This record gives sequence, C-alpha cells and structure tokens, in this order.
Amino acid sequence: MSEQPDASTSEQADAGTSEQADPGKSGDRRIGVFICHCGGNISDYVDVAKVRDALKDEPDVVVSETTLFACSDGTQQEMVAAIQEKKLDGLVVASCSPKLHQITFQGVSKRADLNPYSYTQVNVREQCSWAHTDDHEGATEKAIGLVRAGVAKTRLSTPLEPLVVKTLPKTMVVGGGVAGLRAAVGLADIGLGVVIVERASALGGWVAELGPMYPNEHSGREQIDFLIAEVAKRPSITVLTDAELVSKSGSFGNYITEVRVKGSHSQMVTAEVGTIVVATGFDTYEPEVGEFGYGIDGVVTLPEFTKLVDSSKGPLIYKGKQVRTIAYVYCVGNRQPAGGNEYCSKFCCAATVHASLKIAKRDSELRQYHLHRDIRTYGKFELMYSESRERGSVYMKFPDETPPSVAKMADGRLAVTVVDTQTGNEELTLPADLVVLVTGMVPRQNQGLTSVLKLPVGVDGFYNEIHPKLRPVETVVAGVMIAGACQSPKTLSESVASGLAAVTQSAGILLKGFAELDPLVATVDIAACAGCTDTCLASCPYDAITAVDTDGRKVAEISAAVCKGCGGCVPVCPEDAIDLLGYTDAQMRASIDSLSLVKEPVA
Amino acid sequence: MTTTATKTTRFIDTELLSDLKRFGAADVSACFSCGTCTAICPLVDNDSTFPRRIIRYAQVGMRDELLSSKELWTCYQCGLCSDSCPTEADPSEFMAAARRYAIASYEPTGLARILYTRPVVGSFIAAAVAAFFAVFMYASHGPQDGASLALFEFIPEGLIHWTGVAVMVALALAGVFGITSMARRVARSEGVSLATLFGGRAQLSKAGKALWSALGIESLGQRRYREDCKDDNPVEPLYRRRWLIHALTIWGFLGLFSATILDWGLALIGVKETGTPIPLWYPSRLIGTIAGIALVYGVSMFMINRLRQVNRAAQFTTASDWLLLVLLWITGATGFFIEVALYLPNAPAWGYWIFLFHVAVAMELMLLLPFTKFAHAMYRPVALFFYALAADKSKQTV
Ligand code: HEM
Ligand code: SF4
Ligand code: SF4
Repeated sequence: MSEQPDASTSEQADAGTSEQADPGKSGDRRIGVFICHCGGNISDYVDVAKVRDALKDEPDVVVSETTLFACSDGTQQEMVAAIQEKKLDGLVVASCSPKLHQITFQGVSKRADLNPYSYTQVNVREQCSWAHTDDHEGATEKAIGLVRAGVAKTRLSTPLEPLVVKTLPKTMVVGGGVAGLRAAVGLADIGLGVVIVERASALGGWVAELGPMYPNEHSGREQIDFLIAEVAKRPSITVLTDAELVSKSGSFGNYITEVRVKGSHSQMVTAEVGTIVVATGFDTYEPEVGEFGYGIDGVVTLPEFTKLVDSSKGPLIYKGKQVRTIAYVYCVGNRQPAGGNEYCSKFCCAATVHASLKIAKRDSELRQYHLHRDIRTYGKFELMYSESRERGSVYMKFPDETPPSVAKMADGRLAVTVVDTQTGNEELTLPADLVVLVTGMVPRQNQGLTSVLKLPVGVDGFYNEIHPKLRPVETVVAGVMIAGACQSPKTLSESVASGLAAVTQSAGILLKGFAELDPLVATVDIAACAGCTDTCLASCPYDAITAVDTDGRKVAEISAAVCKGCGGCVPVCPEDAIDLLGYTDAQMRASIDSLSLVKEPVA
Repeated sequence: MTTTATKTTRFIDTELLSDLKRFGAADVSACFSCGTCTAICPLVDNDSTFPRRIIRYAQVGMRDELLSSKELWTCYQCGLCSDSCPTEADPSEFMAAARRYAIASYEPTGLARILYTRPVVGSFIAAAVAAFFAVFMYASHGPQDGASLALFEFIPEGLIHWTGVAVMVALALAGVFGITSMARRVARSEGVSLATLFGGRAQLSKAGKALWSALGIESLGQRRYREDCKDDNPVEPLYRRRWLIHALTIWGFLGLFSATILDWGLALIGVKETGTPIPLWYPSRLIGTIAGIALVYGVSMFMINRLRQVNRAAQFTTASDWLLLVLLWITGATGFFIEVALYLPNAPAWGYWIFLFHVAVAMELMLLLPFTKFAHAMYRPVALFFYALAADKSKQTV
C-alpha cells in the first residue's frame, strides 16, 4: 500500500480544510485565482479582465486577480502575501505551460505554507491566446472554461507529501572496464559499498588490451592494472567476474538483484543495492568481407593494427615482410548513410594517428597515407595530428561519393584507389603493403541486461540518457545510470569522466540515506478491488502492482516507490478501484463538468 | 582475389617527396593546403593554383602531374608566399627545388641529378670537364708570340672552332631532348596537340603570338619579372632590383654569344680574320665589351646577393647554383682580361693562359647548360609559351 501520509499539515488545519467530507460540495475551500497578461502574450487575445470577473463569482474563489507577469519576483511575493492574508488553501495560476512554471508556482505555494499539490496551473497561453489569435472572444471563453476546470480540480485537491524512502548505501557497477572500475573506486571513496559485475573472466575490458596511449604513453594495460590495484585496496568493493546480472526487483533506492556467477558450478548471488551503474562498453565494428577489401591478405582493422604495432619493435613486419607503405581508410563502419551507423566513434581518428606516429618514430622511411573524410583529432589530439603531418604522414580527403577501393595487384601488393579533393577529381592508385581499415565502435549486443534493467535503447543501439547535456548519466529508470561507451562512442578520458559523473549522481541519491519521491502515484481502494488483478498487473510498465492476500482476499497492491504515476492502470480497472493521487477520477470529472458550463453564455 | 588496378588511374609515387628533398625541398610536409601562398602570389592568374597545388602533388606523390606543370616555371621566386605561409612550409624554396628536380628529370643521363644532389662529386666533375677542355686544346698548342698577343697561334683557331661546333651539337641534342621531354608532358596535361598549334591559319597565328610572348616579351623583355614580381618591398634602388640584375645577365650573355658569332661570321665572309687586332669601337668588340660589363655586373650582383642571402631566392644555395654563377662569371671576367691583354704592349704571357681558361670554361658552360641551373633558360620559355597559349584561350572563351 501507499506510504502516503494521509494527515494534512497543521497549517492547513488552521485554514479549516483538514476534513473534506464531501469533496464535490463547494463552499468550504478558499481558492485564489491569478490570471496572467504575460505582458500581452495572453492579454492581447484573451480578455483577462473578463476571465477575472467570470471567476470572481465562482464558488470557493476568494481571490481573482490579473497580473502583468505572474512569474516576476514582485508578483510572486504578492501571491505569497495573498495566500497568507486571505488564508487560501488552493491556488490556480492561469498563465503559460506547466512545463515552464509549474515548479515556480509550487514554490510560491511552499513559501506561503500552502501544500504544493493544492496548486493547479492552467495554460491559457499555448492553449488559448497563441492558438486562437483570430478569435479573441472564443479564446476568452475557452480561457474561462479552462480556469474553471482548474478551480474544480483544486477544490478537490488533498495535501500530499513527498514519499520518503530509505536507500541502501551500495551501488552495483555492471561492467569492469575502465569506466566501471574508475566509478567503483570513486563510489568506494565516498563511502558507498560497491559490487562490480563483470561478464568476462577478468577485469579490464578493451583498454586492458591497448598499448601506449596519448599523451603520456602509459599503456592501456598499465592504466587498468593501476585501477585494479586501487579496487583491491578497497574492501568495500566486491568483484564478481564471469558474472551476469539476471534479475532486478525492488524499488528505487532498494533494488534486489540476482547475479549468476559461472565457475566450476554456477551459482546465484543476491545483492541489494541502492543504485546501478551500467558501464558495459562497446564492440568494435567488424567489416563485411569485401568492404574496402576486407578479407584480402594485408587488409586489417584498427584493433588488429594497433596490436601489430604494440606487439613489435623496429620497422613494421607483416607476415614476414617489411611494410613500407601503409594506407589508412578512415570512418569504416561509421558515419554511414541513413540506416547504417550514422554516428562518429570519436576515438578512432586519434587512435589511428597515434598508432601511425608510434610506427613513424620507429621507421622514418615508412610512407603513410591517411585517406579520410575529415580528421577529427579534436582538442589536444590536434597536436598529435600536427606532429604526424610534420613527420610526413600524408592526409588525403576523399569525397563522400567516391570512397576508396582496395584490390590486390599482380605483384602481391595492394592497390588503393582514391580521389584527393585537394588536387582534383582524378582517380589515383596508391600501391600499399598494408591497408588499415579504421573501424569504430558499435553498440554491444546485450539483450539480457537491457531487458532485465528495462534500459532505453536509442535508434543507434546505444543506451539513452534522460538529457544529453543536463542529465547525461541518468536513465528514465530511476536509480539506474549509464557510463562510458555503452551510452555513445567515447574516448577513454570521456568514459572515465562519465563514470565519475555516475558516481556523483549515485552519491546524490544514496548519501542522504533516504530519497523523496513524487507522491503523484496510483492507489488501490481495497474495498472496491475485486481481486481480478490480471489486467492491472499487465498494464503496469514498471511492475509496481502485485497481487497480495489481505484478510484472506486477493487484492492488487501498488508499491508507491515503484509506481511512476503514469496512470496506465487507472482506466483498465473494471471496478474503478484505482485512483491517481493528484489526478483523481473525482477531480478530473469535476474539471470536465465545469468546462462544459462554458456552453452557457458568459455574463 | 587478384585483380589488376584499372589502367586509367595514375599511380602514386610514394618516394617522390623524399626524392624532392634531395634537391633541397623545404619541409613541405607541414603544408596543410590552405592556399594562402596562392592567394598572395603576384604571378598567379588564369585560375592557376600554384604553389599550393604543386606542393600537394609532391606530398601525395603525383610525379607526372608535377613534371607536367608549366606553373613550376611561371614562379619567379619572389618569396612572398614563404613570408605568408602559416606553417612555414617555405613554398618558394619548394618551387625552386621542384624546378631542380624537373631539370634532373627531363634529361636522361643523370648528370643534372649528380650536380644537384652530390656536391663533392659534382664539383669534381665540373673541374674535370674544364680541365679536359684545357688539356685537350693545350695538347695541340703552338708558340706564344711575345710581340703581340697571337691567341690563335697559341691554340689553333680550327681546333677551337670545331670543338665549339661539337659542344654546340651536344648542347643542341641534349637541349632538344630536354625541351621535347618537358613540352610533351606539359602539352598532354594542357590538352595541347600538334593540331591545336598547326591545325590551321588561326591556330598558327595563335601559336605564333604565344611564341612571341614567350621568347620576345617575357624572355628577352622580362616583362612579368619587371612588372609583376613584387620583390621591391622595401623598395630596392633600380640597380639592385632582381629583374634588372637578371636582365643584364641575360642580355650580357646573349651579347657575348652574338659577339663571338659575329666575329666568326665576319671572318667567314672575309671582312677580317679572327684574332686580328681591332680597335675598341669595332662592332663585334664593342658589343662584346658592353655585354661583358653587363654580364659581369649581373652575375656579380647575383653572387653578392647569394653570399648575403638578401632575399628568399638567395637563401638556400646548392652547389649547382654556384656552378652556374661561377662559370658565367669566369666566362665574362676572363673575356675582359683577354681584352686588356690584347691592348697591353709586349703580349703578357698570362694573356695566353687566361685565354685557354676562358675557352675551356665557356665550352663547359655551354656543354653543361641542360644539366645545370642554366637549363631554366630553355625550360622557362617553353612554360611561358604554354602560359601564353592558355591565357589566350581563356580570353577567347570569355
Ligand atoms: C641566356 C639566358 C639566361 C641567363 C644567362 C640567365 C641567368 C640566370 C642566373 C645566373 C640566375 C641565377 C641567379 C642566382 O643564382 O642567384 C637566374 C635566375 C633566374 N632566371 Fe634566368 N637566365 C636566363 C634566361 C632566363 C629566362 C628566359 C627566364 C624567363 C623569364 C629567366 C628567369 C629567371 C628567374 C625567374 C630566375 C630566378 C629564380 C631562380 O633562381 O630560379 N631566366 N637566371
Ligand atoms: S605552402 Fe603554406 S601557404 Fe601554401 S598552402 Fe601550404 S600551408 Fe598554405
Ligand atoms: S615565390 Fe613568388 S612567384 Fe613563386 S609561387 Fe611564391 S609568390 Fe609566386
């Protein structure tokens, strides 16, 4: 059942509204209505004075006023004063979209010690003045109807308090690559327990396989070893390898997870955690046979090439022969036309230029040709690009319409045809010993995890955040964060940064020990519930509804912590036993009824 | 899986840039094709995009395109581009190096390459060739008359004459080879065929005009060098302007050359014997004297500029640069000494030795023309001819 406290606050008791025996009955509420000019945005088309006058006589309305800018500081203060002086217990502001100022006026309510859920915002700008510029009278009439509906809804409002849930000071990190490891260390350092779940038999991910990296030339392996050592130093971190997250239940801040750990005999480990950080990384693009000559001896991918470079010394030898000319073909599997992998993988230009610099330093006679669409060695990587050019690497931009092609020549070398935009449209043939296809990242195939966590997947196949700029690591699944390249292609440093962002986000949720949730959730009237449960259970996308036994009777129960307040279950209940707090059936019905009053001529 | 690459494409020569560097190409790897150099170049017109495009050819390895560019030779190395290049790739020095490379590529013997890229061997060859001519002619020497300077008794006139003819024939063969080799490449890339030149009256007259522009206006008249090369900032006094120094060098050289021919021609028609004493105002002597002054002045200024590195063109020096300057200077200066010796009483003995030296060096100068920097005197007019043709073409289409 809901943990919603059902007692009103004492302030509201003062206002004489603690009891609402008959919500439909008017005469026992004190509601203030403010109609905003929006500096002309509204008042140029809606006769705000008329709306004010129409609302004056509305039952329960004790204040009806117009304001020039309701959101201005001065007006907000006036509203606070009005609420306190007139002992208002409900507030309606007719202005812009709630998306813009709902929170503003809820804040006004709070400052005046009025429960914020007694506030209703009516949108008379987008819905009236802006939509009906050609019909001032109609717009005014509609505004009056909408404000009345808002008053009707407010009349039936009950004070609600945020739901307080205790949270577990522990985070699960799924994926033990560089982002996950760095996040784990960070989480442990701020005092949270950590469980790392790694699918492979060892920690480290892709980075562990990399050689010296820009700019300090520490190898990927060294950096991973450093992190693994840091993890080992922290007893609050538990590492599970050969492990997969197979189920998640519970509610925000209190998730119960099951992890299958393979080994000589598989076992299930249960972990209770407050938040989950998903850092499952990426896969590398595997070209099709024939794509830029892939499959021909001497045509290799970027990961194959970097391994070749990092595992050797001196001039580059490929299959027993010294490589004298290398052709790099950039953007393979990336920036494809619509329908393909349209994104840029961000790291590959820099990684390729860096690998080519490493080998150039070992063999000054080596000829290197970089066939690209643009070189995106952004930020500090630019220095690497400049150095590479100064060391003689040739960069050739080819037009998108005429990509290079690779074929084997009679003498066994490779012929790469390319058009250089800086000299003309003539096709040139570059004889090369090695062709490196600069392959980028692709989303990792992770159906199991995606469905266990209900993670949102974008059209590109990577996990989606809530807001790419302002909420970059949170997902729509509360308490589940994404970090690293599982979200989108990232460089190592960007992955680490997003891992640390997930740490901060987890800290924000877990360090207080409790979390406040929106009380606008669904509740079941047990008396009315017939116990059929199948329909409502199936309707909830968040699995918030369970069938429970109460006094020997099967009824539906909704976990307020899990419920997101979407309202999906409300209409499917054949007994009308489910109500959404803040948007109850009674409120919505009253709103609609008062809207229809508009049919009668306005005084 | 084995397929042959299509024949229509041009193969990239991955060694081109490193080869060019042997000819002194500044490090154009830094060039990122911004085109600032092209924008600043006072000689860029008719939609040409040098020096940027030529640098690009070198970076990528487009050897054929590089060697068939008339633009190589329409650059007069004022150095403005190098002053404005944001990457300090020194495009003007690159253009000079590319010309050296072209000179070495248009001739088949490999001699020019050695002279440019192997200074020690090159200097040795230069000394050896002069020594060869000297020894060869001294082998048939006669007496040194003590009364008056009888040069052609010392070295028989016929020997000089026929050696000279042999040298000119060798020069002509090598020159024609080089010019043809260059002209064919440029013509192909410019889309010029024999038909476009000689196909009809209109074509012929156009080709004739282009020839006049190349040889007359630009080569002898040095119009663009004089008018378009903005190398006078800060303004140099006239006697130090590059174009004038160069014009005096050309005119001096051609003057000396024609004086020599004239002297020989006069003998041929029996007006006077070569070697007979003549007064200073005698036409061939007068031309020779004035031309000699012009040549020695021009070449000396070039040498001073090079020593002082006064401009971009003089900043980087190959052994082969000095070879041309030294040969020209010796040829001019020794001519004077001979003249002085001729008017001195009692025929000084050094006069004979200077004469031998003069003849040997002049022979070498001509023999090596297609293999040294001097080759620009034959390649620039070819390029200017195609330049005039193209300019004319664009005028017609507008
Ligand atoms: C008899 C003919 C010519 C002689 C004796 C001659 C002589 C010279 C000499 C001695 C230099 C070297 C300057 C130095 O080393 O500092 C030079 C450079 C130059 N000559 Fe000539 N030249 C002749 C014909 C031409 C012609 C027909 C042109 C065409 C316009 C030309 C254009 C140039 C240019 C632009 C330079 C400066 C760039 C460079 O050093 O390559 N010359 N010339
Ligand atoms: S040589 Fe310098 S100025 Fe010219 S294109 Fe290259 S970078 Fe630009
Ligand atoms: S040196 Fe002068 S003439 Fe030659 S390309 Fe540069 S700007 Fe043009």
